[in-house]
Amino acid sequence: MALIELRGVKKYYEMGSQVVKALDGINIAVEKNDYLAFIGSSGSGKSTMLNILGCLDKPTSGQYHLNDKNVEILDQNELSGIRNLEIGFIFQSFNLLPRANALNNVMQPLIYRNVGFKKRKEMAMEALSRVGLADRVDHLPNQLSGGQRQRVAIARALVTNPSILLADEPTGNLDSRTTIEIMQLFDELHQEGHTLIVVTHEDEIAQHCHRIVEMKDGKIFNDKKTEKYLFGEAL
Amino acid sequence: MFFAILESFRSALAAIYANRLRSFLTTLGIIIGVASVIGVVSVTGGMSAFIGESFASLGANSLTIQSYTPFEDLMKGIRSRLTPADLELIEKRGEGIASITPVLEANRSSQLKYGPQTAYSLIMGTTYAYQDVSQSYTRFGRFLAQSDNLTRRRIAVIGEDVRENLNLPENPVNEYVELSGEWFKIVGLLEPMGDIMGQSRDNIVLVPYSTMVSILGNQAKTDIGIQLSLTPTANPELVISQLTTLLRNAHDLSSDEDDDFRVQTAEQLMEQFDQILGTLTMVIGGIVSISLLVGGIGIMNIMLVSVTERTREIGICKAIGAKSHHILMQFLIEALLLSLIGGLIGLITGYALGMLISNNIPDFPPASVPVWAAALALGFSGFVGVLFGILPAAKAANLDPIDALRFE
Repeated sequence: MALIELRGVKKYYEMGSQVVKALDGINIAVEKNDYLAFIGSSGSGKSTMLNILGCLDKPTSGQYHLNDKNVEILDQNELSGIRNLEIGFIFQSFNLLPRANALNNVMQPLIYRNVGFKKRKEMAMEALSRVGLADRVDHLPNQLSGGQRQRVAIARALVTNPSILLADEPTGNLDSRTTIEIMQLFDELHQEGHTLIVVTHEDEIAQHCHRIVEMKDGKIFNDKKTEKYLFGEAL
Repeated sequence: MFFAILESFRSALAAIYANRLRSFLTTLGIIIGVASVIGVVSVTGGMSAFIGESFASLGANSLTIQSYTPFEDLMKGIRSRLTPADLELIEKRGEGIASITPVLEANRSSQLKYGPQTAYSLIMGTTYAYQDVSQSYTRFGRFLAQSDNLTRRRIAVIGEDVRENLNLPENPVNEYVELSGEWFKIVGLLEPMGDIMGQSRDNIVLVPYSTMVSILGNQAKTDIGIQLSLTPTANPELVISQLTTLLRNAHDLSSDEDDDFRVQTAEQLMEQFDQILGTLTMVIGGIVSISLLVGGIGIMNIMLVSVTERTREIGICKAIGAKSHHILMQFLIEALLLSLIGGLIGLITGYALGMLISNNIPDFPPASVPVWAAALALGFSGFVGVLFGILPAAKAANLDPIDALRFE
């Protein structure tokens, strides 16, 4: 069975008397170690897609299997548990805790797993080393550059060893040079066996992935393998 | 869960520290409330500890018998009395009594003269046994003797304050003072006894009991007080009940009539003072707890602001796996710590305030805070913190993660 499987997922919002169909019958499967990009213009439903995939929101109808679990039936607290175990979020605006230094930010998700301080620190140091920030652990977010902040966020996503890494416009707030660095890091993580799902509107970013799913009006419009998938990393 | 709670304490302290000024202002209500309670309690607590010591010095195993007239009877012009006959009866029939003495007080301060000086003092007629009963001793000269009483000698033993007020020499023995138009020879000066409840016990003139009777003349039927000390082996309660029976019989009281006298131990007197102080403390405590309530509302207010400010952080924490109870715990602990810190500062401030007050009023006993008051103050401020922290914490815990993440 696929790592992620969505069957007939619909998400409707009521805006006054109008019903907005943010997702309108989505069927998709994502395999382990997939490297996938959701693209589409604003309003195409890709943000809602991310919220559903990230277990931040529940579909109005349809089924969502994540790692052999039926998640659409869970309540908010159970979803928190799933997010903690299965999902690593990487946001456009980094979303680090402003008063916590890099190390504490990365240790934060482990608190909710009730991991002891020593073990927590060890795991966080490892994750920070992985993203190349071992020498910045005691810096506060506002003492770090944008690229460094996003690395901390990636370390925070990695530290729980999640089933999927979910990135929402991960380079939207970064300059072009840093963008390349971050995408290289993504490529490496993919090669290490992680499953990555990136939501973006930038074609260049999407081209790093192996599979591009284009969305339009709440539906999947196009789902294709990229050249990178076909011809390998050499390209 | 354990590490999550531990971490909540750490992050709560960090949040309080990050907003130092605001945290301080928030908790000011608690600080003022607790400081007032502790200030009041430390002053009255010191007072009651002091009273305890004073009464112990009165002689723990001494008894006082006084007539007692209910207010209703007083209005009808009826007065209960203890008479010399009662004294005689107790002297003859009482058991377990080491020494016994009548005390006859003038019902107001009397004027004393020495040369050009005049002073007012309490005049008490008593006997040699008063020395033993009241544990008072002379510094110069001698105490009243039995023969003084028998011969109604015009002699007096005076307290230190009287000597000072009249400008008598350091050793006033053999000087004469004028009292009620008669000359009294001073035969002794008492050791200073100090104050009790701010009232000097040294502004006193002791004269022989029978002398006092003759000074007062027949202007009123005598109502005497009786002071007695017990033998070391006597059981005070047994003695009290025996004396009560004796006096009830002597006064012809039927079984449905109340005692027309009171037998009191020094301890009972002390308890009465303690009771008055206790009531006073409770009343002030009640008023001040309103200030704690207001302080709690202040904390709730700021916690609500804080939840709004940190909406995005809450969203982040929820996205990376915080459950509702994690968020609830974090804000509850923050409110708890905020008010506990306030309580602690209030405790220290209140104690300092109490010290300041008691040090600046001469002869006032030193401040002391009983442990129960400190524990109660901290416990109550903690309770206020939790009580008023629940609403903001619940608001934070119930935030929707998507809305919270989107919050600017």
